[in-house]
Order: sequence, then C-alpha cells, then structure tokens
Amino acid sequence: MRPRLLRRIALVTIAALLAVALPSLGNDYYTGFGFSLLAWVALTESWIIISGMAGYVSLGHVVFVGLGAYVAALTWTYLPLGAIVPLTGLSAGLLAAIVGYPCLRVRGPYFVILTLGLSELVKFIVINTEAALSMSGRVLFGAPDVDDIFYISLGLAWASLVIALIVRDSRFGAGLLAIRENEEAAETIGIPVSALKLAAFVLSAIIPGMVGGLMILRSTYFEPLQIFNPQTSVLIVTMAVIGGSDRPFGPLLGVGLLVVLQELLWARLPQLYMIIVGVLLISVVIWMPGGVYGRLQRLLPAGTR
Amino acid sequence: MSSQLVIAALVSGSIYALIALGLNLIYGTMRLLNVAHGDFVMIGAYCAYWCVKLTGVSPLLAMLVAIPLTAGIGVVLYFGIFRMAMRSREFVERIEANSLLIFFGTSVIVENLTALAFTPNQRGYRYQDGIVEFLGAVVPVNKLIVLAIAAAVCIGAVVFFRISTLGLAIKALIQQREASALVGIPVARIDLICFCLGFAVAGLAGVLISMTEEISPFMGFPFTVVAFVVVILGGLGNVTGSLFGGLLLGVLETFGVALTAPSYRSIMIYAVFIAVLIFRPQGLFGSARART
Repeated sequence: MRPRLLRRIALVTIAALLAVALPSLGNDYYTGFGFSLLAWVALTESWIIISGMAGYVSLGHVVFVGLGAYVAALTWTYLPLGAIVPLTGLSAGLLAAIVGYPCLRVRGPYFVILTLGLSELVKFIVINTEAALSMSGRVLFGAPDVDDIFYISLGLAWASLVIALIVRDSRFGAGLLAIRENEEAAETIGIPVSALKLAAFVLSAIIPGMVGGLMILRSTYFEPLQIFNPQTSVLIVTMAVIGGSDRPFGPLLGVGLLVVLQELLWARLPQLYMIIVGVLLISVVIWMPGGVYGRLQRLLPAGTR
Repeated sequence: MSSQLVIAALVSGSIYALIALGLNLIYGTMRLLNVAHGDFVMIGAYCAYWCVKLTGVSPLLAMLVAIPLTAGIGVVLYFGIFRMAMRSREFVERIEANSLLIFFGTSVIVENLTALAFTPNQRGYRYQDGIVEFLGAVVPVNKLIVLAIAAAVCIGAVVFFRISTLGLAIKALIQQREASALVGIPVARIDLICFCLGFAVAGLAGVLISMTEEISPFMGFPFTVVAFVVVILGGLGNVTGSLFGGLLLGVLETFGVALTAPSYRSIMIYAVFIAVLIFRPQGLFGSARART
C-alpha cells in the first residue's frame, strides 16, 4: 500500500478511536446526534463507490436502507444483534447483485431509471406483504442500548471510509474511474466493465443495508412509508455531491453541513430544509463541479493534497 | 372483454402517453433526464385546482393558464440553468449525470415549495362527476372528457411528427444532432421549443389528472416513474413509441388490477418496468443493436 493511503487510513482510525469516547459523556442528545452523523457518513461513503467513482448515479439508494430495516424488524425477536447486523448487510448486497444484473447489459440513463423504479417496487412489495400479514407498522420491543448502536455505527462509518479510500487507490477504483470517463474506451482496452460495475453496486449496497437495520433499532418503530422515504436518497445524493463525490474525504464535508442544518431546521421547518438542500445541490452541480472538497484541493498547493 | 375495462385502460393509457411524450421529447433532443417531470404535472394540477376554486371557471379554461405557466417555467430553466451550464466543458462531458442531479434538485425544491405554500394535504374539486352510459360501459363524464382531450393531443402529436416541418426537424435532431446542425436545422431554437413543448404537455396532463383525482404536492414522483416506464417500453428518444408504450401500460395496469387487487397496482407497474429493463432495454419496438 502506498504511504499516502496508509497515512489516511491511520488518520481515519485515530478519529474513530477518539469518537469512541462520545457516549461516555453520558449525554443522550450528543450520542444520538453522533449516531445520525455516522449513519450519514456510512451511507454517503458507500454511495460514492458506484455513483462518484463509476459515475452511475443511484437515485434510489434508500431501497437498501429500507430492506435492511425490514430484515432487522422481521428478525429482531429471534436473533441477537451480532447476527442481525451482518444479515441486513447480506440481504442488501444480495438485492444489489440480483437487480444489478440488468446494468451488466445496459448503460447510462437506464441504470438511473432502474434505481428510481427499484426503490418504489421494493417499497410497495413490503407494504403489500405487511398488509397481507395484517401488520400496520411494527414496534420493536427491548431495543438495544443507544451506546451499542452508536459503537456499531461508528464501526460502519469507519469501514465505509476505509473501503472508499482503498478502492479509490486500487486497480478496481482505477477501472471504475475509467468507466466513468469513457466506458467504450475502458471496455476496448480490456477492463471488465460489467463485472466492475456489478461489484461496485454490491459494495455500495451492503453498508447502507446495515445502517437501515441500525436506524430501525434506534427508532424502535418500523413503518414502510417512512423508512423507504425517497428523501433519504435525496439527502445521500446531496450530501455526497456538495462535499465532492470524487474523493472519499469529500462527502464528510457535505454530511457535516447538512446534518447540522437538519438539527436546526428539521423539527420546525422540514420543507424549508429540503428547499435549501435542493438549491445547494443545483448550485454545486453548476458552479462547483468537484464539490467543496474539489474546490479546496484546487486552492491548496500541489504538495499538500 | 368488457368495454368498462377497455375505457378505463384507454383513460389511464392516454394520460401516461401524454406525460411520457414530454419526457421523451426533452431526453431525445438534449439528452437531459428530467426526473422532475412529474412535478410539473403536479404544478399543472395545482394550477387547475386554484383556477377552479378561486374563479369558478371550468378546468378546461384552466388549461389556458396551466400550459403557459409550465412552459414558462421550462423557458426559465432553459435560460437560467441549461443555456449557461452547457457552456462549461466539464458540464457537457457528463451531461446526463449533471442534468439528472439538477432536475433532482429542481424536483425537491418544487415539491417542498408547493407543500410550504399549500400544505402537504390532499385536495380536490368536483367536475362533471355525473355518470353516463357510453358504448355499453358506465363511466363518469370527467373521464370521458379526459380521454377525449388526451387522445386528441396524442393523435395530434403523431400527425405533427409525421408531416409538419418542425416535427420532422425535431425527429432529425433526435436521430442525428450534429448532422442536423450541418443541414441547417436551428438546433438551439429547436432545443428551446422542445423544452417548452415537453413542459407544456406535462402541465396539460396535470390539469386533466386534477379533474378525476385528488392532488397533493408529492403526487408527481409516481408519475415521473410511470413516465420512465412508458418511455423505456417505447424506447428512449422514440417519440411515437412512447405513445404506444403509454397505451400498453394503461391496458396492463387496468386488466392486471381487475384480475388481482388494486393494492397490486404499483407492484405491477414496477415489475413490468424491471422486466422490460432486463429483457428488452432497447424498448419493445427498437432493434436489438439500436442502443446498448
């Protein structure tokens, strides 16, 4: 591994170790806020693998969050937490592998439309299944401790960042960038584009599935319309793009900005918050194509990047 | 086959065809993926609602307000965002992804502005909800009006793309953008016209939908997805194909629901959509090597 990559992984690990201390402050508000921050980090860092690096924009990433949450809600009474978390990730990865198959054959806009339709399809399947089981929302009894959920989400955020860093510096990542810049050319020089795209899609689905499971264990209430809310996809996309979806450290800036804004506005003016999110997204796409991180990089001298 | 179901299928099919037509026009000419398309349908619907509630006029007259309004928003978006952004090389290189993100942002803004202004609640008005017998079926009058207008516009569109110079120019632009410029077609002007037409048709569809259904600020997203399903069925960029795609989806939906249960409606639409993406991504009418 290159020393720069090792330095970055070390940096992320030190930050994660420092964050371990947060629950010991004993303030549930801070712990909850920390969980929210870490969950969004895990979601956006996963999203950039397929959408930032390979350039296949997914507008329906909430489907993996929702599926993970549903699996967790179904299995919570039967399995221990240590089994549920991997299971939620596995089911999300499996869904991505199955439906990612069409993107082996088709390209560009079809993939985007697929993600959009897929999240709605799975949402309605879950709603109908729940209706057939005559369930209207599930309450999860005896949910795990907030601190435990915080620690797992910290682990997921750390893992997603490290995975993004490693992928960005690997042959795999180079292949994804080649696909983004020119897929025909990449295929011509022998890059296995279909396999790489599928791998990237599956990789970007696993951690969001686990985050979904944790979200439902934190809120202790499962309701399909709420957990499959397309707004989650909007926020993932916006956070990643504002920060800069090209580099693994980029989304962190977007997550920081929007999660703080969310704390300030969500309770009182949710619509105003979403309007600001939309305006930020459009402005960044037009005026700051590399996101905030890309702009910062351009300002810094080359050696310190 | 009962005529009841056939008419129901034609009503929803012609609406779907109309919405998909606008989406396909904008994608076909400029390669812009308008994921906010359904939200302009919603704007048309709200426009009709307020015209009817405030002035008491017929929603048919509300079209005269809704169509210029959505077309006008199209012009503003074209000059305000895309004209300017298209000058940047970085933007044009990844035009599909960038336009997608911009329209995605537009969709979020439009939905939430509407919710902020008019509350997120559902609302509706009554218009011609008497029932008549028509070709052996019992149908509300408003559905027949919707069908007549939507079908007329669809047929008009087919004729327009076959015989008028402008229609042929648009088709040429969809098939060969660079070559069209070479033979003297004013590309920039036709881009603008397509933007206006696409949004205008969305506004018109919104007015028609508001005559028969309740409206809400977030009603647009399902229509966006449905429009994409139809466009995929007919082929991306294939304008007449999307009309057939719309009718086909209307038939599939109506008969599918009749055979199973209304709660399966959405699942059916999305299942058709995923199946088509997997088995015939080039559309039902496209040739196998047309676009892969």
